[in-house]
Amino acid sequence: MDMKSANRKLSLKDKYRLFTRDLGWEPSYRTREEIFPYVQYEGIKVHDWDKWEDPFRLTMDAYWKYQAEKERKFYAIIDAHAQNNGHLHITDARYLSALKIFLQAISPGEFCAHKGFARVGREFPGVGTQVACQMQAIDEIRHAQTQIHALSNYNRFYNGFHAFAEQRDRIWYTSVARSFFDDAMSAGPFEFMIAIGFSFEYVLTNLLFVPFMSGAAYNGDMATVTFGFSAQSDEARHMTLGLECIKFMLEQDPDNLPIVQRWIDKWFWRGFRVLGLVSTMMDYMLPKRVMSWREAWNIYGVENGGALFKDLARYGIRPPKGWNDAEEAVDHMSHQLMLGLYQWSFGTAFHAWIPSDEDMDWLAKKYPETFDRYYRPRWMHIRKLAAAGTPFKNYGLAKLCQCCQLPVVFTEPGDPTLSCHRERVHQGEKYHFCSDHCQALFENEPEKYVQAWLPMPQLFQDLQGDLTAWMDWVFLRDGEDNGDYADSLDRRNFEAWRAMATSNQ
Amino acid sequence: MSYQLTIEPLGQTVDIAEGQSILDAALRAGIYLPHACGHGLCATCKVQVLDGEVEHGEASSFALMDFEREEGKCLACCASAQGDVVIEAEIEEDPDAENLPVRDYPASVSRIERLTPTIKAVWLRLDAPEGMCFQAGQYVNLALPEGIGSRAFSIASAPQAGGEIELNIRIVPGGRGTGYVHERLAVGDRLSVSGPYGRFFVKKSADLPVIFMAGGSGLSSPRAMILDLLAEGFAKPITLVYGQRNREELYYHDEFLALEQRHANFRYVPALSHEPEGSDWRGFRGFVHEAARECFGNDFRGHKAYLCGPPLMIDSCIDTLMQGRLFERDIYTEKFISAADAQQVRSPLFKAI
Repeated sequence: MDMKSANRKLSLKDKYRLFTRDLGWEPSYRTREEIFPYVQYEGIKVHDWDKWEDPFRLTMDAYWKYQAEKERKFYAIIDAHAQNNGHLHITDARYLSALKIFLQAISPGEFCAHKGFARVGREFPGVGTQVACQMQAIDEIRHAQTQIHALSNYNRFYNGFHAFAEQRDRIWYTSVARSFFDDAMSAGPFEFMIAIGFSFEYVLTNLLFVPFMSGAAYNGDMATVTFGFSAQSDEARHMTLGLECIKFMLEQDPDNLPIVQRWIDKWFWRGFRVLGLVSTMMDYMLPKRVMSWREAWNIYGVENGGALFKDLARYGIRPPKGWNDAEEAVDHMSHQLMLGLYQWSFGTAFHAWIPSDEDMDWLAKKYPETFDRYYRPRWMHIRKLAAAGTPFKNYGLAKLCQCCQLPVVFTEPGDPTLSCHRERVHQGEKYHFCSDHCQALFENEPEKYVQAWLPMPQLFQDLQGDLTAWMDWVFLRDGEDNGDYADSLDRRNFEAWRAMATSNQ
Repeated sequence: MSYQLTIEPLGQTVDIAEGQSILDAALRAGIYLPHACGHGLCATCKVQVLDGEVEHGEASSFALMDFEREEGKCLACCASAQGDVVIEAEIEEDPDAENLPVRDYPASVSRIERLTPTIKAVWLRLDAPEGMCFQAGQYVNLALPEGIGSRAFSIASAPQAGGEIELNIRIVPGGRGTGYVHERLAVGDRLSVSGPYGRFFVKKSADLPVIFMAGGSGLSSPRAMILDLLAEGFAKPITLVYGQRNREELYYHDEFLALEQRHANFRYVPALSHEPEGSDWRGFRGFVHEAARECFGNDFRGHKAYLCGPPLMIDSCIDTLMQGRLFERDIYTEKFISAADAQQVRSPLFKAI
């Protein structure tokens, strides 16, 4: 029985091979080492680049078709959002704080990921790897652009959106995300893949995007929901690239295992610290909350991350070193950070506030072991001070961790009443850390972290501690962008405009 | 009423009856489409409809999203044709797949033997004089009477004797199908089998030494594969690591000892996990994966491994193989997916194991 047909189409596999592997040239007058100089120095041993599997056989022509369709759908919704005064459909203006943090800290990270993937796509010798990195580089710049475009609608009406690019470089809390991406971009190509492709895109992305996008949906922000959907549709491909890279390294040579393990330990902890900002969005900043940070962690960290590390154990990989401390910190971090953001709200380009009774009851229900015991009393004290006309403002500048760059506001593992602070002298200079894990990361690469640009020391070094000059320099308009939500311009405007839109006065 | 089903990128056209699933029509024509659960849960069989209308049947709304339905995707195991249909599947060409057509074979029970207290061997003589063409390692569906339905069993005999196929069937406590076979089935009974099914066969084209790891009632496929390889004069080393709880359960032990005597390239490593202390057992005591690790000095590189047995055994064997640096692309398992498996939280790290 011969059923071969004459007009046989190219199979996806053949098409993919023609578009990718067959483009891999054998160098004739330069050595491979000269062409790919960065692929050796991290110590990762690769014997056969052809063993790199391309799980997504997406060719460039198909890629453009998919992405163009996504863009069309996205911009149609963004236009509708602008025309229908979508900004008045959000639950209330507290929600904007979450958007501002996202725009100042995370969207620029997408752009860093773009630059990073463009670079490692050049540095990896394997053709399959090059193509996958190239596509992801284009995805990431698309994500940065769509996020900025979606949120630019809010910039026309509210404060704190206007200088996200400068603030990404200069303001103190955004330096947490900035240092994460700078650390990744200045690493070698394999470590970059673990940092962004594996840790960020796989282990942490669900903890960031799912709550954030669902948060947008719960709070009536269709523009953000749409960029979320559009970005999420690329994530499956991104996750697979990260996972493929990790499998590839582990299968190529047994000597790669300890290097990969050290990177997993490092990038899990660095990612977990960046997520500290997300925990405050979820537990405090969304007027209508989706789930608590603890609940999100249970699903995306414990359950999905647990399943992954169970599979990785087959290669001899153990769960990241900081895993148990992270698990304990999940019940505390959003409260500790929000208390920090409130007391330093003079220096943030978003608003913080004292949670209402209703908010605190919700938090007590979601954190039965910790909230009433450790954090409600502090909020009640802060509320009393505010009522007496002496709101709690901490004009002392926070001590920052040399590694993650968060203020050292966390507590000791095992004792939530004791502030956790580590110090270490390296070549005559004193460095501070928020945790044992951040200190260990520093000790492993001191040459890198001594160069860290820390916003607080810089304020003294460059501006002699002049807060007004600092505000100008970070594009922070005092009395507009910063301070308590309760008496903010954003709140007054939103309430006035909403009243105009929903009544006849 | 029957329609035409065209399968791209092969460009082959086959008949499909009203109500017949696309998967069934393709398999019966000898065209393999990736599939696993067979009832719309796992989405392994997702294909693109290029032309024509399909009915989605029982496809789960999680396995086949609304937007995918709009894009013309369907699950081949549940979808039926409403007219002539053209589909495109991501077909990997496997040089070792013979893509043999599935057929129904009326048969008579020719022999029944008790292999162990819980396992019976059943021989079926097929009415068709030419017998069934199958690849060693594949399975058949055995249609049982009294509304029991059909049950899948791996063929335990070599394809060279295709006129009579042997099935080794362990009784599942409370199981209607295996209960019927053990308690009621008699020589001379008439039954119908359909087959061959499955993608579990030896990658002969790789031309590498092979390791079989078998336990419990998972011996059938490896036994058929080994008999087939030896009959064909396969020259590379073949190792069977075969585990049971105790000597009484170790069926076909003498046969493998004899094969080892006859074939210099066949090594037989039996392992007993619960053999009473002080018995006259001189072989390995412990689990299959432990026996394999010892026997290969924890280095499995340059092999192909075929695993068949209970899930816990498979799991430990994969761990052991990977610690000995044999990875997913060289490990093959016979996989049956149930509704419970489809709902389990799994990481996407591995696909085939």
